[in-house]
Amino acid sequence: MNIDFAPELEAFRAEVAEFFATAPTPAIREAGRKTTSVFAPFKECQEWHRILFEKGWVAPHWPEEYGGTGWSVEQRFIFAEEYRKADLPPLLPQSLGMVGPLLIDIGTQEQKERYLPGILNGDDFWAQGYSEPNSGSDLASLSCRAVPDGDDYIINGSKIWTTYAHHANRMFLLVRTSTEGKKQQGITFLLLDRVDYPGMEIRPIIGLDGCPEQCEVFFEDCRVPQSGRVGAENDGWSVAKHLLKHERGGGNAASPTLMRYCERARQAAAETLSPFGGTLADDPVFQRDMGELEADIASLAHFEKLAISGHEIANDPAFPSMNKTMNSELVQRASTMMAELSGVDGMARQLEALRVGSNVEPLGSEFDLISMPLYLNSRATTIYAGSNEVQRDLIARTVGS
Amino acid sequence: MDFRFTDEQEMLRDGVGKFLEKSYDFDTRQKLVRSDDPWSASAWEQFAEFGLLALPFSEERGGLGGSVTDCVAFAELFGKHLVVEPYASAILLAGAALAEADGDAAAAWLEKAMSGEAVVAFAYEEGRGTAARDLISMVATPSGDGFTLSGEKRLVHAGAEAAAIVVVARKGEGGPLGFFLVEAGTKGCDTRQYTTVDGRSAANIRFDGTPAEELVGAADAMDAILAKAVIVQCAEAVGAMGALVSITADYAMTRKQFGVPIATFQAVAHRLADMKIAYTKARATLIYTTALAESGQAGPRDLAILKGQTGKLGKAVGEAAIQTHGGVGMTDELSVSHYHKRLLACDAQFGDHSYHLRRVGQG
Ligand SMILES: Cc1cc2nc3c(=O)[nH]c(=O)nc-3n(C[C@H](O)[C@H](O)[C@H](O)COP(=O)(O)OP(=O)(O)OC[C@H]3O[C@@H](n4cnc5c(N)ncnc54)[C@H](O)[C@@H]3O)c2cc1C
Repeated sequence: MNIDFAPELEAFRAEVAEFFATAPTPAIREAGRKTTSVFAPFKECQEWHRILFEKGWVAPHWPEEYGGTGWSVEQRFIFAEEYRKADLPPLLPQSLGMVGPLLIDIGTQEQKERYLPGILNGDDFWAQGYSEPNSGSDLASLSCRAVPDGDDYIINGSKIWTTYAHHANRMFLLVRTSTEGKKQQGITFLLLDRVDYPGMEIRPIIGLDGCPEQCEVFFEDCRVPQSGRVGAENDGWSVAKHLLKHERGGGNAASPTLMRYCERARQAAAETLSPFGGTLADDPVFQRDMGELEADIASLAHFEKLAISGHEIANDPAFPSMNKTMNSELVQRASTMMAELSGVDGMARQLEALRVGSNVEPLGSEFDLISMPLYLNSRATTIYAGSNEVQRDLIARTVGS
Repeated sequence: MDFRFTDEQEMLRDGVGKFLEKSYDFDTRQKLVRSDDPWSASAWEQFAEFGLLALPFSEERGGLGGSVTDCVAFAELFGKHLVVEPYASAILLAGAALAEADGDAAAAWLEKAMSGEAVVAFAYEEGRGTAARDLISMVATPSGDGFTLSGEKRLVHAGAEAAAIVVVARKGEGGPLGFFLVEAGTKGCDTRQYTTVDGRSAANIRFDGTPAEELVGAADAMDAILAKAVIVQCAEAVGAMGALVSITADYAMTRKQFGVPIATFQAVAHRLADMKIAYTKARATLIYTTALAESGQAGPRDLAILKGQTGKLGKAVGEAAIQTHGGVGMTDELSVSHYHKRLLACDAQFGDHSYHLRRVGQG
């Protein structure tokens, strides 16, 4: 075993830190500080995507031949750490994290040539159309129907919770192409090269934090080309399962973000008077709560480091589910801690001040501005990408085998 | 021992409940919250007609001589309907301070508050740390035959709309706490109005040498005033918890995944059970503490237990309700998220659960 990073990595760290200190525009920085979800504010996020692309750093987890960086695992971890220290907006996962790796793995040559460049340079943003009003946890029960007609499919049905579909210009989705046999066997995976097909309509949904983030998508006799199919007709379930590995396991370490939340919380605690004397940072109860949270985040970081170093822990069939469960629950705990620190100062609904580029002054500190929306938004982390109840069922099946 | 509401209290609940069912359903409430109106003038009128605005005040003061239990009886329904009118601020806090004060001005403002003619707001919070009263730092400096106030108050419900504001401040640097009255439009008030996450109108108010009049005689009753408001606020929270338990149970019985209602999955069923236990526990403590308070026996520790438990259990129930609803629980459209936000707001005000539970732990 060897814990050390090679000394030349310090130079790499300095290079990354220098770039992060100089390259982002003020608006991108503001978007990073005002990110109250796993999904950063769209416009600035895409601007930042482009800057990283031009630097050649947009897809560290991709193979080099497709535009990856060729970095070692240590370099990737350093990159993630510096990224969070600089409070930069996280890139949106659907394009680089989901559909890109999927196409690299199993797309046709034509699909790769057609779509990978736009995913990489940020021209395209892909929405993920899986869930339906009646099919959430039981995704295989989906009923949005696609009927072949010449070179096209005709789609009827609807999708829901489609994150940022109102910003998207492309979409990947699962449709039902057969009702024979097992439910899983009649599903097809489709790429839509645009989202303004006649018969397609996107309506944003307002979330409990007051912001539109998810959408409903309606299809009525909507004609789309069959060339967008990934894999064979009726074999979409296995394509989706393949993509899920990327969605839940992910190339991205969550612990640096969580540590950043803790730093912010510590700073707020140091500036908050404790009702029991001194500041909250001196308060033993706060210290105990913070200790428990930070120790758990440390364990997640250890787990992530082992995994990216190629340790066998990552071959555990329950790895993606364990990763998702730990990570999502820690996001909730950290944001709960933040919202509780804000207390009554987090009670104002400040949607205008929260907007990037807003000239409305927040009522209190920036910490108080973001803590409540972050807490509210993070209630979703245990619901999406497979709810944690469902994940625990999956983990349970691997125990004792 | 008898912890049941009296027949009169049941009648009051019945009347208020019917009115709210009819005119304060969730959709109407949402329209109100999204409108430019801070609250419903007609609901406030109706509360006045039910006698709620005069209920907590003694008959000598022109009130109806109602008890804390009377208030708890209808406040649960306020919670169930997510009422946004500033009842606590205007009646239980500001009104109560006016009722305890000497002098004609206080009596005149109280009369206006009771009739619904004017709303008087209550300015207490200063943000971080004010859970402990020791940390209230606003000072009222003697000036002429009155005082001047300087400093900032936060989360003043109805602060921008009120005709007058009762402000809690120290009489001179390091001095004892007192209540001070500021009329709307007095110079040296900088008011920033906003809507809270739970849909109520509030303001942060900066006072800068603002002339104020002391409410003489009221300060002695400060503990009693705050205690009663906290109990009634907990009743609202318990009402919201009850609503969440039944809404969530109904949803889980009808929402199907994998061909069966999700309530049949043990993980969901057990969560529903935990929600019910939490609600029942909080309600038991509410009712018991109310009875203690009515008989004059509720001490600071009893109140800390109530506030701590309600805050902690309420938050747990709200989070469980959202999780059980899945994606729809995350939307503005459903009532679930709004109940949760009301529970968060109840928890945060007057010290959150970790503050109060720690006080309980101090013995
Ligand atoms: C913020 C957010 C972003 C999202 N983004 C996208 C997106 O971009 N694209 C997309 O396609 N979808 C997206 N989703 C949808 C998400 O994947 C679904 O919400 C999720 O799969 C749960 O489905 P559901 O909401 O229908 O809840 P349901 O499946 O109805 O579940 C309700 C409750 O029942 C529980 N439950 C269900 N089945 C079981 C079981 N077998 N055992 C135990 N408990 C069970 C669940 O855990 C949950 O608590 C998003 C959701 C959210 C909240």
